[in-house]
Amino acid sequence: MSTILILLPLVLTILYSLVTVPILVWMERRIAALIQDRLGPNRCHINGIRLGGIIQSVADMMKLVFKEEFLPSHIKNKFYYMVAPSIAFMSAFLTFMVIPYADNITIGEETFHMQALPTDLGVLWFLAFAGLGVYGIILGGWASHNKYAILGSMRATAQVIGYEVAMGLSLVSMLITYGTISLNEMVAYQSQTFFILPAWGIVLQPLAAIIFVVTAFAETNRAPFDAAEGESEIVAGYHTEYGAMKFGLFFVAEYIAMAASGALIVTLFLGGYQLPYLTTNDLINNFELVLWLIIAFAVVTSLLFLRWMKKHNIFAMSGLNETKVYTTVIIAFTIFAIIVMSYYALGFAHASEVGVMLLQFAIFTVKLFFLHFVFIWVRWTLPRFRYDQTQKLGWNILLPLSLANIFITAIVVVWVNY
Amino acid sequence: MQNEILFTVLALIAIVSSIVMISAHRPIDSALSFIVTLISIAALFGLLNASFLFVVQIIIYAGAILSLILFIIMFLNIKDENLPDEKYKNRWLLATSVIVAPFSAILIDLILRSDIATNSVPSESFGGIKDVGLMLFSKWILPFELVSILLLVALVGAVTLSKRSE
Repeated sequence: MSTILILLPLVLTILYSLVTVPILVWMERRIAALIQDRLGPNRCHINGIRLGGIIQSVADMMKLVFKEEFLPSHIKNKFYYMVAPSIAFMSAFLTFMVIPYADNITIGEETFHMQALPTDLGVLWFLAFAGLGVYGIILGGWASHNKYAILGSMRATAQVIGYEVAMGLSLVSMLITYGTISLNEMVAYQSQTFFILPAWGIVLQPLAAIIFVVTAFAETNRAPFDAAEGESEIVAGYHTEYGAMKFGLFFVAEYIAMAASGALIVTLFLGGYQLPYLTTNDLINNFELVLWLIIAFAVVTSLLFLRWMKKHNIFAMSGLNETKVYTTVIIAFTIFAIIVMSYYALGFAHASEVGVMLLQFAIFTVKLFFLHFVFIWVRWTLPRFRYDQTQKLGWNILLPLSLANIFITAIVVVWVNY
Repeated sequence: MQNEILFTVLALIAIVSSIVMISAHRPIDSALSFIVTLISIAALFGLLNASFLFVVQIIIYAGAILSLILFIIMFLNIKDENLPDEKYKNRWLLATSVIVAPFSAILIDLILRSDIATNSVPSESFGGIKDVGLMLFSKWILPFELVSILLLVALVGAVTLSKRSE
């Protein structure tokens, strides 16, 4: 049991970062299609099973893995050229390690942390490794010996350095509000209520939330701040000379960085794994009621989904009958889940703790995917900023705003505690 | 035992990469091996429970300052033929290390005699953010403020110098 609970956050980190990448690629394509009034990839299938199109992005990943590895002959610094994508990938992956996926769980005498790296550094760890990610971009652009690549990597570097300042300063005002740098304590703080609203970061500090979200977009080089990859001016920016899995690593690193910033935004501003108005102890103490609500929710959503699928999944394909397979799987899974839940609720010593932990994983996942949706939504809605506009926004607007926010926060916090 | 092996490995990495930093021909090699030095020193801080110093070393030195230096090296776009011809570099390095050797011997001797070498790490919370903050803002408040003013002066100076050249 204790080994499982220690390994669980590590496994979850891999799930949330690496395994979600195909899902994110799929989301990106389907949401782009939705916004542009088309369908997007939905026909790739394995014997009739399409999973709504996810098979297509899995096929895309397989293509990248099996492509021929090549080295352009003009590359002189082979070592830097090869090591750059893995630096970008590694630092994006490491930023994920401090996100709490659920509250600390106490079983018997022992307390387990639901963070992959239970350190008290919290936010600082994220900043440290988000900053190191720049080296992948710098080295990749420099070692490519290509004007477009160098231009792209210089744009990316200048942007990341500029926006890191505003990001750090907006974080400082959050640190003053919460009075801690440990992410788990921040989430615990957000389970309080603020007048009638839940005391989430976005309610307490709307300005810091806006600044942080904007800088997170810029840090991950996502649209509207993706002038570093502006394909209409500089081909593909810093990864112009990369192919096969070396490009794949840059590509995956971008999505992991996006997922990590999304997870940090959830933790800092959207209450992390908490439901509004309910602390972890409330959930554990009223676990039976919670369980019944979960069972009711599962039954209702699966019935609604089945009805929706019967009406809309009408595309004729060879192979298995997709609708039938999904219906069987969903019904079987729901029944299985209900049986398991009620069995453990009756006869398992720590059912309430473990059950609440699983519920908190689910809440965190839902919030994280909502943020992924926002990231993609923004990308396909707003046009790209011109490069000088990006710099001006960072230094002339966000930096003074976040400084002012720190002063106001400090005055209010001192005044309240006085 | 585990800590000693880790310390040896990290210290070796730090020393080798700092030697590479001094002796490398191209500036970009020097800058990159300096990053390796800084990160391994950060890891040494981590071994001493100084978690705040560990993360600050990575954020400020390895993250911010070195990326600026690399940015400038890229911006200048130094070609190989522009670099100085360092024919007698190895001899220079050898001669300077011979000259520096006695001073380093004195330094090592001083460190071994002082109480830094004999004292072990006081406690788990020794280098945590809270303890460092309390220490900085109570006992060392005057030097802290003086250093901040010095940095501010340097910043203003840099801005005025760059404005004058226009």
